This record gives sequence, C-alpha cells and structure tokens, in this order.
Amino acid sequence: MGRRGRKKRNPPGVELNLAAMLDMAFQLLAFFMLTFKPAPIEGQISLRLPPPQAAMVVKGGQQAGSDEKNPNPIAGVNTLTISVFANPKTGIIESLGIGEAQVPSVAALDGKLKQVFADPGNPFDQVIIQVSDQCRYDELMKIVDICTRQTLANGQKLAKLSFVEVPGG
Amino acid sequence: MSRLLSTDVKAEPNLTPILDMVFQLITFFMLVINFKSAEMDLSLKLPVVGSARPVDTKGQRDLLVLNIEKTGNLKIYGRPITNIDGYLRGESQVSMLAARMTAADLEAGQELPTTIVIRADRATPFRMVNRVIKACQDNGFRRFALKAINKEP
Repeated sequence: MGRRGRKKRNPPGVELNLAAMLDMAFQLLAFFMLTFKPAPIEGQISLRLPPPQAAMVVKGGQQAGSDEKNPNPIAGVNTLTISVFANPKTGIIESLGIGEAQVPSVAALDGKLKQVFADPGNPFDQVIIQVSDQCRYDELMKIVDICTRQTLANGQKLAKLSFVEVPGG
Repeated sequence: MSRLLSTDVKAEPNLTPILDMVFQLITFFMLVINFKSAEMDLSLKLPVVGSARPVDTKGQRDLLVLNIEKTGNLKIYGRPITNIDGYLRGESQVSMLAARMTAADLEAGQELPTTIVIRADRATPFRMVNRVIKACQDNGFRRFALKAINKEP
C-alpha cells in the first residue's frame, strides 16, 4: 500500500526558462538578416593568357620563299592578329581588322573568324589582339567573347589569347 | 468561483514553436551566407557578355580575385593595392609553395596553378587592365578568368 502511494505521486515538473535562449536566437537571427547580401550571379570567360610573342621568328638573312624544302611558307605562322582601334575619347571601337583585312563591324567579326578557322588548312592556334590603350573594357570583352566562341581546326575551343597594347590609338 | 477570480494566475506562453521557427530561420541564413562576397567589390559594373558562364571552378580553389575600378585602382578584399608588382610577387611565391606541396617538380618560372580572376569595371580603359594582366604574367600567372554578367540586372 505504501509503495502504491509513492507511485501515484507526480514527479515535480522541470520548467526550462526559454526566454534567454529565445533572446539569443533572435540576436543571431538579426545578425544573419542584417549581414545577408545575396551574391550576384556572375559569369566568366576562362582564358590562358601567355605573354605576347612574335608571330614568327625570322632567321638572320632569311628571305621569304627562299626555303625550297618548305612548300607552305605560312606554316611557321600560327598566330592570328586582330586589331582593335577605339575612339580615344569614348573608348568605343571605331575600326577592326583581321591581319591586314578590315572588318566592318564587331558583328561581322564572328563570321570572318568562322571563315578563317573553318579552313582545314589554317595554321592558327592562338590569337593576338592588338588593342588601343583607351579602349573600354566592355568593348574589348565583346572581341574576347567572339574569339572564345571559335573552334580550332583540331576541334578544340580557342582559349589561347594574348593582348598587345597599342599606345595612343 | 473564488479560484476563478484570484489574480495570481500566471500566463506562460509556450515558447517552443517560436524557438523552433527562429532556429529554422537561423539555419537558413547560416547556410546561404556567402563569405566569398567579401572579396568581390560589388560597386563595380561588370561588362555584359552573352556567353559568360557561371563560375565552374571544377574543384579548383586556388583563385586570386582582383577588382579593378574604372580609374584603374586595384582593390583586393576592399583594400587598395598601390604596389601591384610587389603584391603579385608575394602571391606568386605563396602559390608556388602551395603547388610544391602537391607537385614537387614545379620550378620557378613555370606556369602557376593559381587562376587570376579579374573583375574590372566596364568603363576601365584597356591600358589599366593590361597593366594588371602584364604584372600577373611577369610573375608566372597564366590562367585567367575575366568576370562578366549575362544580362543587365
């Protein structure tokens, strides 16, 4: 009977004071809410940029076409040069060229480059972009964007670019 | 009746659900917090390039983010860098030491594994960007990532 009586007795309730924990939780919440700054979604163009080198090393005294063993005189040249000249005041592109040929606009550059790289005999595997020093970065990025979209004769994407600064252009 | 009228009745709200909710919110903000944004100067207006793809580092963590303002000032973690060459020389040595821990045969003058991430304002003149690129190349960096956005925000 005594045992039964002890069993029936309710154990004393344990009441945790949650107010302090709630205060701390709200402080943490306020901190994270105030410092929350969603990062913008950014893209990127990945490039391998070796230092610019001369397109072809010419030996001393060598003359064009003098080597009878070389049936393709252009075989030593593997660099395509693109010239970009911008307005010195606005930095907007004014004229463009591939090698010595003029390109009418940035939009036309894509088609011209596709023609060059579509030729299975083309020897180019890298591009040097000659840019006038005042050219705006976003204008240059248009050219870089077009170049990185090109596919080489071996099926790989063009990723080898170099920049050459043309002063006072 | 007398018990109902007594004034010493304590109102104790059940705080457990609100605490649950607050902890859920804290967990959410802890998960989405981005400490990487500290290295990005969000005041820069990046160029808009259609083919720019979101960052895919393919597990590579060795990135050095360089922010270039339209005046040509270089900022890293919000700190302006005046001696660009000196700073990059130090970074190249750090990169070289880190790379030697995995590839012991890496020698001075070889291509460093660090990717230089360039975040330049769209109005920056090319000569300012090229100055930084040349300094990087002089210190052995060859891998670059030029940041851009797909469309205007």
